[in-house]
Amino acid sequence: MENLLVPLHMLVLLPVGIGALTFFLPRKAYQAVMLLGSLFVTAAAVQLFITVRWGSEIIQFVAGWPEVVAIKLVADGISAPLVLLAAVFFTSAYIFSTRAGHMDKTFVFLFLMLESALFGIFLSGDLFNIYVVMELSMITIAILIMYKQEKQSVYDAMLYILMNFIAMAFMVMGIAYMYRLTGVLDLMVIEQRLAELPDPRAAVLPYSMIFTAVAVKAAMLPLFSWLPRAHGAPSAPSIVSAVLSGIQVKAGVYLLVRLSIVFSPVIDAQMLFLVLGFLTSVAGFLLAIAQKDIKLILAYHTISQVGLIIMGLNLGSDVAFWGGMYHIINHALFKGLLFLTAGVIIDTYGVRSVKEIRGVFRSMPVIGIAALAGVLGITGAPFFNGSISKYFIQEGIQGNWAEAGLYLINFGTILSFVKYSTILFGSPPRHLQKPRKDPFITVISLAFGAAIFSGGIFGSQAVSLVFGPQYSAAGAMGIEKISIFAATLALGVLVYRYGVLRIEGVLSGVRNFKYNFNQITVLISLFFVLLLGYSYITMG
Amino acid sequence: MEALEYFFRQLSISDLAVVLFFIGLYGAMTQRSIIKTIMSIGIMDVAAITFFMMSNFEQGARSPVTGTPPEQMADPVPQALMITAIVIGVSVVAMCLAMYMRVVFRYGTADWNILIRRLED
Repeated sequence: MENLLVPLHMLVLLPVGIGALTFFLPRKAYQAVMLLGSLFVTAAAVQLFITVRWGSEIIQFVAGWPEVVAIKLVADGISAPLVLLAAVFFTSAYIFSTRAGHMDKTFVFLFLMLESALFGIFLSGDLFNIYVVMELSMITIAILIMYKQEKQSVYDAMLYILMNFIAMAFMVMGIAYMYRLTGVLDLMVIEQRLAELPDPRAAVLPYSMIFTAVAVKAAMLPLFSWLPRAHGAPSAPSIVSAVLSGIQVKAGVYLLVRLSIVFSPVIDAQMLFLVLGFLTSVAGFLLAIAQKDIKLILAYHTISQVGLIIMGLNLGSDVAFWGGMYHIINHALFKGLLFLTAGVIIDTYGVRSVKEIRGVFRSMPVIGIAALAGVLGITGAPFFNGSISKYFIQEGIQGNWAEAGLYLINFGTILSFVKYSTILFGSPPRHLQKPRKDPFITVISLAFGAAIFSGGIFGSQAVSLVFGPQYSAAGAMGIEKISIFAATLALGVLVYRYGVLRIEGVLSGVRNFKYNFNQITVLISLFFVLLLGYSYITMG
Repeated sequence: MEALEYFFRQLSISDLAVVLFFIGLYGAMTQRSIIKTIMSIGIMDVAAITFFMMSNFEQGARSPVTGTPPEQMADPVPQALMITAIVIGVSVVAMCLAMYMRVVFRYGTADWNILIRRLED
């Protein structure tokens, strides 16, 4: 703590402080100041990560109050890498859209506020503080989604905010029960006191309420209606979609891990979350295949990947857990890259349908190559980072029913990205105007692509560098894995050609099916009852 | 009759807050009008705040300000935290109402079912 460049609470406040400060600067100066500020935040995050990784975890009590009373900020082996990821991701996304038209002061201010809120979520060790920063991120995201106010983006934002508002009401209620039960809000102390509870059944109700809220944030099976609307919103700038899919949804997954550890002395719902993660993943890719808007394909696919991450984290084996954590980083890289390039592609072509965009390779070679790297990463092609994390997750479930499920998820991923990558090939329409040369876009997309590739080549080193544990990833690059991937790819292409293309009627039915808000609320209530029942019964 | 009266007498504000929370949830599940949905969720939020306020409630405790002896003070934590939660709740409801105005002007309806059919995509 003494040797930190910026203390933890300053790290949380820094981005929003920079945003507020530059608000008063003249138009020419603010971009430079903002960039310098972002780089400084990144440097601070790197230093924090190094201190935590090769030193010890950092616990800071805000304003010098004693433990239990103070708001606690914790940077440990799980949160420090995520803070680093968020800082690097926000800075690169910011550089990527330096020349974009929508980057005015208000937008950048909100963007940095979201960065602050995410830092807050990752670093908070206090239940109420987590609630406050979650609300902050919720409001910021709602404004960012409807920033351009085109088409139905206001409806999307309203659905997002109302759904999350219900979730947060559940969360306050759960925190209140927790406070009654234990008399503290500090996560570590709650964990100790839960273990000493005379009747562990008292923890069931706060557990279900808090986890209903977290499941909405993490977009689990019945509760993901907000995610594609928010992430794939037609009017949201692609940088917002990239940040939401890359980092923000991981905040929900992170809280799931954090709070599961807190409740672990009394309630263990790993099995339930494993099954829910699997179902989420399957539902995600099925819906992704049905879409024709390229951003919506990516958005629905985020659900599928989050399901996979939740599976990995809840398998109960170490290697699968770290595989899941590594997949969080990998997914941020390739989904971020895919969303950023999709934004450029949509801007150049002026259409969003996967059927109308052709020949990205020929019209924009750099973007095409970067998008291809993203596709290879997400499908788990050998030598790309997705293959390593999926391999680790698979290591954890050998011989289990879930292993077959993993093959199914892989197949679905490949199938939906066969559909997506049809935009890369072919010849572009003749009237297409020459895209503007933008060095920032080129550099950042190639850097992301390189990160995806090197994260695959040096997979096991990357895991031990970022998280610590040593696992060999040699099997992920073996002949067996490569041939399995090739076979799945061939099957995917065949099924797409002779299956998916012929059931357009079914697909459009799936595409047009929407829940209205009342049904969504019923689903949230049902999820709450499910959690309540499950944790009550398994407690015995 | 006496049993009923006894039941009602021993109800605390916390119990009523829990009931209010689920009434709000019921409203959000059943009301098709957007404005009623926003009101229902507002009720849920207020109920949760009330419930939090009543945790560690002691009869006869005094407000935790300077001058009160510490042993007579009420627990200051829920009060301090719930001020934050109230402010957050107000701003979220305000934002929901602003969005509601936009949606109603754009689509000419305040009914979730009709609205979903009028969306552009």
